[in-house]
Amino acid sequence: MTAPWAWVLAQAPPVEDQLTLDSQVLAEQFYFYTVVVMWLIHVGFMAYEAGAARRKNIMSTAMKNILTIAVVTPSFYYFGWYIYGCFQHGGPAQGHEGPIPELEGFNFCGATAPWSDAMGPNLQDHISAVFFLAFLLFSWTTGSIMSGAVIERIRLSAYLFLTTLLGSAVWIMDAAWGWSAGGWLTTRFGFHDAIASAVVHGVAGAFALGVLLNLGPRIGKYDMAGRARTFRGHNQHLTLMGLMLIFTGFYGFYAACLVIQSTIQPGWLNIYLSPTTLGAIAFVITVGFAGGFTGGWFASKGDPFWTLSAGLAGVVSVSAGADVYHPSLAYLLAISGGMLAVWSGVWIERKLRVDDAVGAVAVHGVAGFYGIFLVGIFAGGFPTGFNNVESSFGGQLMGAMTFFPLAFLPGFLASWALKKLNLLRVPPEVELEGLDMAEFQQDFFPEFERVPETVVLPDGEEVESAGVLLEGYSQLDGRERVGAERRPG
Amino acid sequence: MIDSFPYEEWNLDEIAGFWTFGPGNSTGTYVLTVLGLLVFVAALVGFFVLESRKLNAQAALLRAAGGFPAPGGVPPGPGPSQTPLAGPTTDPGD
Repeated sequence: MTAPWAWVLAQAPPVEDQLTLDSQVLAEQFYFYTVVVMWLIHVGFMAYEAGAARRKNIMSTAMKNILTIAVVTPSFYYFGWYIYGCFQHGGPAQGHEGPIPELEGFNFCGATAPWSDAMGPNLQDHISAVFFLAFLLFSWTTGSIMSGAVIERIRLSAYLFLTTLLGSAVWIMDAAWGWSAGGWLTTRFGFHDAIASAVVHGVAGAFALGVLLNLGPRIGKYDMAGRARTFRGHNQHLTLMGLMLIFTGFYGFYAACLVIQSTIQPGWLNIYLSPTTLGAIAFVITVGFAGGFTGGWFASKGDPFWTLSAGLAGVVSVSAGADVYHPSLAYLLAISGGMLAVWSGVWIERKLRVDDAVGAVAVHGVAGFYGIFLVGIFAGGFPTGFNNVESSFGGQLMGAMTFFPLAFLPGFLASWALKKLNLLRVPPEVELEGLDMAEFQQDFFPEFERVPETVVLPDGEEVESAGVLLEGYSQLDGRERVGAERRPG
Repeated sequence: MIDSFPYEEWNLDEIAGFWTFGPGNSTGTYVLTVLGLLVFVAALVGFFVLESRKLNAQAALLRAAGGFPAPGGVPPGPGPSQTPLAGPTTDPGD
């Protein structure tokens, strides 16, 4: 009677091996589904930015988001992931040493090289590939953050070059330094940015600011006195829906920032391998949205675009301490972050005279750096990283002083070089007509009658934009037209 | 174990090697990596070349069609002083 069962048991692998395999497969599934959810961030960015674009620039705006995937994915595979694995001590690791001495035999640096066993079908490794994919989706996000700021006048090709630089080199270098248990900012200064307030958002915002300074405003954005006009997006409902999709995807983003692998360490860990829970960060992201919406609503006096954008800013500002904040603290801080984003966005547009089409520098850059300072104030003393250095305001300041130039300078210098080569901005005639006609030779709402494009003047009056745009065109420096005129046809 | 694969003949590491024309850190994976990287760089350059052609052609077409003022010239068409279409917005700075 017992013979068949004995046969079955004899075929089964040892229980410990089976549990290890099951744990690894569960972790593999977890990261896989975070990647699926994070795709919504990019669906959202595409809708958000396309809605904010005028009718003549819809598809050129959307294609930027889609082709971000086409360039950041291979570049992150070929060198971005290697930067994360091998540059945690500052410069490249010697001899492909792993950064996790506690895990004997695990060579993380070597595993991130594109030719390694870990970067392909490997039946012995259930984690490396999905972990890479989660980071890849973070990389796309940095590109998409910059993407909205530069719409309606940047060349698609210039954007793709810049987003490759940002997504596969700049942000992942700062992640290696300050968003890993073995990064030098973590092990020496206790830098703590659990869900990437500055590591992803702040850095992308700073890079975008550097690009915007060279790119310049859209034609007609500012009048002769330097006062800002407002271009109305063609579909604000699409923009708001895009933001809601981004918010949905952010739950995947938050979850993917945690580490779960019970065969190494029981329970959930943050990126610094300190304990937390999935519920704790879900608490913070949810009240973060609530606080951000509230702060944004009052700071903008009920403006729909800024209310939803401030929701994102609220979450960004509490992300750095999302693993340790009490929900009520997160709510209060997110309100302040949402308000700060609105006020700084208006200041950047009107005082700094930087034409950031969607407020990305304020929502991601300002709120991102604000978030890491909040950790220094409200979560100082929490042990971080392999050396258990306590987080502090000084450590957070060191992180900000490292990350801002690390992001701003490459963005500024690369866009400056493209500008000198006349490869940064579309010809002004094309900008006035709309990029879709030059890039795709069609209007993407052919069944709808065209109505005159409008612009909101600084005093709040909305007028047809043709005269304003041509006036702006006539004020262009001759050098701004020379590129197009030099190469007729 | 279900008899669907000759596990006893195939080391599990070798399966990865089969699909990638050689195991990790081998000539096969080096060659694949270099080829992919070259194609990626070529695509990035191609984006610039293709777009420049389109943009320059369209800009030349538009200039030839006329309607754009010379630098410093007076713009044709209605200017910003025309009749407003709507009142003040809910702009946060209002």
